[in-house]
Amino acid sequence: MRRIHTHYFLLATAFFLLWPPNNFLLVTAGSAVVPLATHQPLAIIVNRSNPIENLSSAELRKIFLGERYRWENGHRVTVTMLDPGFPERESMLRFVYRMTESEYRDHFLKGTYTGDIPVSPKTLSSPETLRKFVFNAPGAIGYLRRSDVDGSVKVVSIDGHFPGDLEYKLLIEGPNE
Amino acid sequence: MRLHILSPDSSQVTAPVRGIVQRVFPLLLVMLMNTATGQAQQVATDTGPEKQTMQALLERIERLETEDKELRERVAQLEKNQHGVAPDLTSSSTAHPEIVPETPADQEREAAAESVGDNKTLLTMRGFGDFSFHGSNQKGTTTAFSLGQIDFFISSNISDRFRLVTDLVFEKGVGNDYDEDLERVLFEYRYNNYLKLAFGRDQTAIGYYNLAFRHSSWFQTPIGRPFLFQFEDEGGILPGHIVGASASGEIPSGILGLHYIAEVGNGRAGTPGAEPVQNFVDENTQKAVDLNVFSRPDAAPGLQIGFSGYHALISSPNSVKVGETDLNTYVVLDRSRFEWLNEGLLIRHTPQGLSHVFNTAGFYTQISEKFGSFKPYFRYQYVNAPNNEPIFFPVYNVSVGLQEGPSVGVRYDFGESVAVKLQYDYDYLRRQQVISQQSINQLALQFSFAF
Repeated sequence: MRRIHTHYFLLATAFFLLWPPNNFLLVTAGSAVVPLATHQPLAIIVNRSNPIENLSSAELRKIFLGERYRWENGHRVTVTMLDPGFPERESMLRFVYRMTESEYRDHFLKGTYTGDIPVSPKTLSSPETLRKFVFNAPGAIGYLRRSDVDGSVKVVSIDGHFPGDLEYKLLIEGPNE
Repeated sequence: MRLHILSPDSSQVTAPVRGIVQRVFPLLLVMLMNTATGQAQQVATDTGPEKQTMQALLERIERLETEDKELRERVAQLEKNQHGVAPDLTSSSTAHPEIVPETPADQEREAAAESVGDNKTLLTMRGFGDFSFHGSNQKGTTTAFSLGQIDFFISSNISDRFRLVTDLVFEKGVGNDYDEDLERVLFEYRYNNYLKLAFGRDQTAIGYYNLAFRHSSWFQTPIGRPFLFQFEDEGGILPGHIVGASASGEIPSGILGLHYIAEVGNGRAGTPGAEPVQNFVDENTQKAVDLNVFSRPDAAPGLQIGFSGYHALISSPNSVKVGETDLNTYVVLDRSRFEWLNEGLLIRHTPQGLSHVFNTAGFYTQISEKFGSFKPYFRYQYVNAPNNEPIFFPVYNVSVGLQEGPSVGVRYDFGESVAVKLQYDYDYLRRQQVISQQSINQLALQFSFAF
């Protein structure tokens, strides 16, 4: 009898440790509620020589909107984006820009026309290329899946949180890779 | 062990080739050893079956070598097709991307985004235009098709800090003809986020609308600009352009997001019939000055609250000099799908030697929201100029008086670069110098495009 209780106890313990399964865990990302298992953190990366360690959500948005021209160290801000179609880009548009693709294009067209934005973001064809670009360009900033990040670039915390923290809100929509 | 057998450079061979080599060469080694053994045995025995076996092994070696060669060539061809260059199988791969081996497309983009080498700069050009069909009950006018402004926006990032921007606009000229105007020629120097210097001709930083939409109908939701912000050569009452220098940038202010624009330049001409924008000479030495301060608070993306003040002296050889002060305040919420613009303006004309001040007040409010491709909008505008106003009609031949009324319409976007707008305007008029009617109804259809 005691052995049966022990088995039940172990099973119950395992159940509570594993439950709820990850794909039912919910976090808020911006205004959206998204399941974790189909999402992974999207890391904001800069060149390793950039002294910036943390950005607020508002600063991050301003930078990616093209409203920041230079970093504190004097280097020109170069925003990098992946080609349309990448889940990483779609997440950036949704959570940081809060725009659709066409609104994004209009924003930079209007910004460069009015003079508010000196240069539009660079669009690169793959995460690997983006990582290499950020590695080489001192003022570059971009984004990658956490799994695509290596030591050649520097991950910046957002509102004090790094990718993987529970409070980190910048997630990629779509399946893990 | 096998790597040593292959070659000293085997660790630097690309993965597919390495796989082939690793599979084939040990086999070759075993076969060679078997062959050597077979030869020894042949010398000793020289029996029929062993000779056949040896022959078969030799043929197999030859076949494998041929296949290996073909596979190598095929891998090389595939890599050549993928990267546009033949792979260098002897080059070493590095853990860190010391040199950016971007794809040719990326390199082209990079080259396109940056200036391109010695003695070359990169011009980028975009265009905006419109074409409309309109009719009204105003006496003396007819229903007609009209070509709008065709704006060629040309810019060049000369270097990391210098940029040249121009707006070359083809628009309605004298009579029924086209005219071309260099509406913006600006040489910019960006020092940092807090300071940008610019020299040349630009839209005057009075209020919001003048800088936000400039000469492009594409970015405007309705057909046409508010009456207050019409350009000088289209019956406007403000100095829409200025030739001079400006400084602009952010003001360190944290979450308030304060910005400034300060300008100094030639004021507008005071001679009746003259070009209002004084491009080359100024009728007086007192320069126009303008300051626009606005806030874009972090807490409310898209919100912009601002104030601007402009002062100039309007003079002509045959009349008294008139001081002009334009005070403007605005609250704007401009988001991707929602737009709410509100501006109020006070224009003060003060003839020197007179104690009387002529105040012209006006405002407009405009609201729109996008639903899919449709964007319905509403605008109400008002302007009231005093009788005997000394500048608008006497100098610029613009009848102001009292004008007010709503505009309603809808904009429909066809894809990314073409939009059609349908708009109804009602203008209530009083104290007009030219028009005797008390109200005008107008309907207009406009095709607007970016190219």
